[in-house]
Amino acid sequence: MFYREAGQFKTSYKADQALMPILQDRVGLTVILLIAFVAIPAFANDFFLTSIMIPFLVFSLAAIGLNVLTGFCGQLSLGTGAFMGVGAYAAYKLTTIFPDANVIVMVLLSGIFSAAIGAVFGLPSLRIKGLYLAVTTLAAQFFLEWCFIRIPWLYNYNASGAIEVPHREAFGVVVSGAEATPIVRYFIVLCITVAIAYLMANVLRGRIGRSWMMIRDMDIAAELMGIRPLQTKLMAFAVSSYICGVAGAMMVFFWLNAAEPSSYSISLSFQILFMVILGGLGSLGGAFMGAAFIWILPVFLKFIPGTLGIDVAAETVEHVTFMIVGALIIFFLIVEPHGFARLWQIGKQKLRVWPFPY
Amino acid sequence: MNAFVTDKTLAPAGELEPAEREELLRVDNVSLSFGGVKAITDISFDILKGEIRAIIGPNGAGKTSMLNVINGFYHPQEGTITWRGKVRRKMKPYEAASQGIARTFQNVALFKGMTTLDNIMSGRSLKMHRNFFWQVLWRGPAENEEIEHRRKVEDIIDFLEIQAIRKTPVGRLPYGLQKRVELGRALAMEPELLLLDEPMAGMNLEEKEDMSRFIVDVNQEFGTTIALIEHDMGVVMDLSDRVVVLDYGKKIADGPPEEVQASQAVIDAYLGVSH
Repeated sequence: MFYREAGQFKTSYKADQALMPILQDRVGLTVILLIAFVAIPAFANDFFLTSIMIPFLVFSLAAIGLNVLTGFCGQLSLGTGAFMGVGAYAAYKLTTIFPDANVIVMVLLSGIFSAAIGAVFGLPSLRIKGLYLAVTTLAAQFFLEWCFIRIPWLYNYNASGAIEVPHREAFGVVVSGAEATPIVRYFIVLCITVAIAYLMANVLRGRIGRSWMMIRDMDIAAELMGIRPLQTKLMAFAVSSYICGVAGAMMVFFWLNAAEPSSYSISLSFQILFMVILGGLGSLGGAFMGAAFIWILPVFLKFIPGTLGIDVAAETVEHVTFMIVGALIIFFLIVEPHGFARLWQIGKQKLRVWPFPY
Repeated sequence: MNAFVTDKTLAPAGELEPAEREELLRVDNVSLSFGGVKAITDISFDILKGEIRAIIGPNGAGKTSMLNVINGFYHPQEGTITWRGKVRRKMKPYEAASQGIARTFQNVALFKGMTTLDNIMSGRSLKMHRNFFWQVLWRGPAENEEIEHRRKVEDIIDFLEIQAIRKTPVGRLPYGLQKRVELGRALAMEPELLLLDEPMAGMNLEEKEDMSRFIVDVNQEFGTTIALIEHDMGVVMDLSDRVVVLDYGKKIADGPPEEVQASQAVIDAYLGVSH
């Protein structure tokens, strides 16, 4: 009743293939963007920004990156953490080499390095598929992590072996380093994430996105229709790694301030992969939903005992949170194996026919 | 179904006798084996421009392997393929596709996660050229290109009468419609040679009649040459101009339907013969 396309007629193909052909969707997105750009900066405190919103956006972007590769092109990857690390270390080296350059530009450029490395590790995908490919990307994960530890040049020969984000200003504001305010960081991360998500939505609805999905759904048919598998897969690897690289660079520059090799370990890869699976493979919105579930939900759960005035030890809360989140993951995967994106689709379908059951 | 035969005589391509038509594709002495298994042994035949050429034979005769050789998925150990006057030993799938060979598959090979529209649009992939940077921007050239190809795709959707399922993911469609969408996807490539691998397998009579009508229309309206593998002999004999019969990887007959039907070798292959 409230959500239906009835009466919204399209008179051109342009209108029909718009990103959001239905008015209600456009209104919904506008509201979300208004909340993100106006309401949250106006009302949120520093804790909410630094511990919830910034990591959520960073993980969402990384999940979009992995979704391009796994959800849209069908190539399973366990190297996300390492590709994010490449972005972080590349951005760190770039800011060292060009101290006066704008750090936001450096973060965006750093993705190019992880795109190149991602494409190299994507080469086996021509011959190897599915779980076996995942194992080869695991090699990327371990090899790159080893590089972060064993090549001192990458962390400027620090005694600690960690990278620390330098103090940088852009447009007269401190944007990175310990002095940067959460609100500035939040805006940078939000703008980059929203921009990349929009640009990816464009790629995914056009020829290139279709060629990825062709490879995913039926690679033999795709090949016989003139899609060159190697180029297409490598492009997916490069684009995916670029996005992951930017997310990794943002992670250290606008969230953590410092990172060591273990920040980009296999557990990060798994975390991002779970976000993608829970959110829904092959859905950009799902990437955001998955990231929200995996990152924001535990933070909220940890606060429930405190706000209710229940006196429990911090470790107990931690463990119970793990158990609840784990149980919820299993629950949602049983209810809808295709993730939140599919649940959202089903919900929309129900709204269309409401108040009737079908 | 005899009406089809009468129709064909009215068609532009049909005005020419088979002998006068230009040769589009020829395979010469092609042999293909997988290890010790000989799938195809020394087969030669040609496909003339504008005709419907049927390839028939019992199961395992090497029909699908033959199509795979033609569009470059298998590379024969011996023999040559002449496509539009150019002789070559093997073709790559990409070359075959870009030079106008399209096909459908015996087991529906649609892109299951995509809508009907996207599936047919995917047939236009080779004709769309805007690179990544235009695609990222979308507004302007990439969008215009998309709309331009959407028009062509909508023509195909109208032709195949599948307007109602335009936005439905093909995984949810019934089998007969999936076959139709697959034909649409191949048509979107605007092929010169269309390879149909059992387009009517598993269909009921009505669906078969529809599909036959589409095949004849494609041949006559678009002038597309068609190579057809089919087990339904009624359909084969009605639709095709010439038939080549394979058995155990060897060619046992080649000629107009009536001639092939009367051939003793073909009857033996299909009915079996006591040794």
